[in-house]
Amino acid sequence: MPTRLSWHAATLSITALIGPLSAEAFELKGDPKVAFIYASAAQDGGWNEAIELGREAVETELGLNVAVAENIPEEATRLRAAIDLYVKRGYNIIVGTTYGYSEAMSEAAKAYPDVAFFNASGVHNSDNMESFYARTYEAWYLAGIAAAETSETDKIGILAGFPVGVVNWDINGFALGAQSAKPDIETFATYTNSWWDPVKEGQVSEALLDQGADVIATDLSAASALKAAEDRGAHAIGYQLDMSDAAPEGIVTSVVFHWDKYLVPRIQSVIDGSWEPSEWGWFEGLDTGVVGLAPFGPDVTEETKAKVEEAKAAIVAGDLNPFAGPLMTSKGDERVAEGDALPEEDLWTMDFFVSGITGTMPASQE
Amino acid sequence: MSDTFLAWLTVLPGYTLPLLLASLGLMISERAGVLNLCPEGFMAVGAMTGALAVLAGYSPAVAILCGILAGTGLSLLFGLATVVFRADHTLAGLATVALGLGITGVLGRPYVQKPFDGLTRLSETSWGEGLPRLLGQQNLLLPISLILVLAVWYWIFRRPSGLSLRAVGEDPAAADVVGIDVQLTQLGAVLASGALGGLAGAYLSVASAHVWVEGMVAGRGWVAVAIVIFAGWRPRGVLFGAILFGGAEAAMLRLQTQGVEFPLYLGAMLPYALTLLVFCIACARRGRDNGAPAALGRVYLRQDKH
Repeated sequence: MPTRLSWHAATLSITALIGPLSAEAFELKGDPKVAFIYASAAQDGGWNEAIELGREAVETELGLNVAVAENIPEEATRLRAAIDLYVKRGYNIIVGTTYGYSEAMSEAAKAYPDVAFFNASGVHNSDNMESFYARTYEAWYLAGIAAAETSETDKIGILAGFPVGVVNWDINGFALGAQSAKPDIETFATYTNSWWDPVKEGQVSEALLDQGADVIATDLSAASALKAAEDRGAHAIGYQLDMSDAAPEGIVTSVVFHWDKYLVPRIQSVIDGSWEPSEWGWFEGLDTGVVGLAPFGPDVTEETKAKVEEAKAAIVAGDLNPFAGPLMTSKGDERVAEGDALPEEDLWTMDFFVSGITGTMPASQE
Repeated sequence: MSDTFLAWLTVLPGYTLPLLLASLGLMISERAGVLNLCPEGFMAVGAMTGALAVLAGYSPAVAILCGILAGTGLSLLFGLATVVFRADHTLAGLATVALGLGITGVLGRPYVQKPFDGLTRLSETSWGEGLPRLLGQQNLLLPISLILVLAVWYWIFRRPSGLSLRAVGEDPAAADVVGIDVQLTQLGAVLASGALGGLAGAYLSVASAHVWVEGMVAGRGWVAVAIVIFAGWRPRGVLFGAILFGGAEAAMLRLQTQGVEFPLYLGAMLPYALTLLVFCIACARRGRDNGAPAALGRVYLRQDKH
């Protein structure tokens, strides 16, 4: 569930500063035994399932038998009990899947220095622990291009969970991508104030359609938002997994994770003895393929695909930064000057909409 | 602005009906003195069973009936525990919620995120094609729900059996003395809350989201508990409360799409703050009487000496 994306936003930049300085390769004792721990069902049709696909790749590509624990709540004692059990049974590579595991996993990493720990959208890093996340805004920028090119009303909508940095950069990336294709396009953004409410996500999708938007993107994971767009003959963009099943006609694309691109080589490096945990946490984007777009839908033209490919190549080459200046907020302030780019640490605390977005941003500090 | 209002009115039933149905059932149960925290669980099984029935090829109407049955089935367990075996209402209620959420998580796992075509809207029927959007977007559950509210009101306040129900909730010993079967009345009331809770849940999956996922009730059952308190255990208050709570949520999402500046979190808090306020006012004004049935939550034993 996307819950885990939430709060690590503000804290990762802090962790970056207090991370350990020693960088020695981690040495694994004994044969590799890997376990994945999920906070809810692995087959949740969203965040967990995307990681679960990565776990399956670890099994097939590395020839390992990977253990799975589901429904381990984000509580220190419950998680620690699960980790203790695995370690006692000889497991020496443990992968957590949510921000809510951060503290307890960090404690466990101190208690078991011979075990390698990973945590998706986590906060802490140390000699034997690494947190990882992806630059999702880069893929959302591409999705924005496809949305703008597909839209006929020149109005597009995106629904999201809570106004935190990792969510806001998706919304802004989406809008900026759209504006790169059509400068005057209007983007509606709405928060559901929930990470998990499929009913409300469908209802918000309807509200965005009522505003005249004809492409609806979801930064959450329920199929209901796409289904609502499909039922009204509009287009839709999914998140986490390829959601074309929910809108076979209207799907434009989905912003998807390919965690195998991180998990397989990273776990292999632990086995090789070459793993050096990133002291800032691992945080990469389109260039590694850990995040990207699912295959395009039937209504996406070849021209659009070419435009998206062009932008993707530019981002991967480092020629295009979605948050390069000049960057104006929806309130008309200049946030980034021409020739500058938004500093990396400001990504995590992003609390504004870029100009061209209509929506309510509650968290603004100004 | 009137366009916005019309759009809000059009979607209002989608936000209101699940709350209305669940709290209406809850009110019946509590009028009979059974403190009922189960709606979240009833709705969970109703939502899952409804969705699974559609996915299995049954029509949405049949699927909704399945949802009602599932809710009733779960409420039977709760009724057995509280009314027959006289377990503590609060604990049994919480256990029922946990059971409902757990069971749906286990049984529904293979059916997560599988979209389906749900209950038809009036504009999609052969006779309702020309209806204005305000009506065309609705489904038959809207009139059915409104009739249900009216029927429940008439039954509770105008029929002898409704009086019996209220008597059991106010003073089960006295009701017993005049020959009312306390346990049967309470069991019936609990089953009614299960049926309506199941209906509310099926509405969420079959009429609203057109997809099932674990945890999709997302706290609406607890809002129903709040609405019944807010309503002072009266049908018209339940209707008003459901419209208020559902309408506020619908309005907030709509205001956001218009880019209206307002404190999002305070807005989300408003209905709950309002419930507390109304509760406090009712308590202050009428001493200890806030409209709650006098014997609410009390386990009735015939030999009990008070």
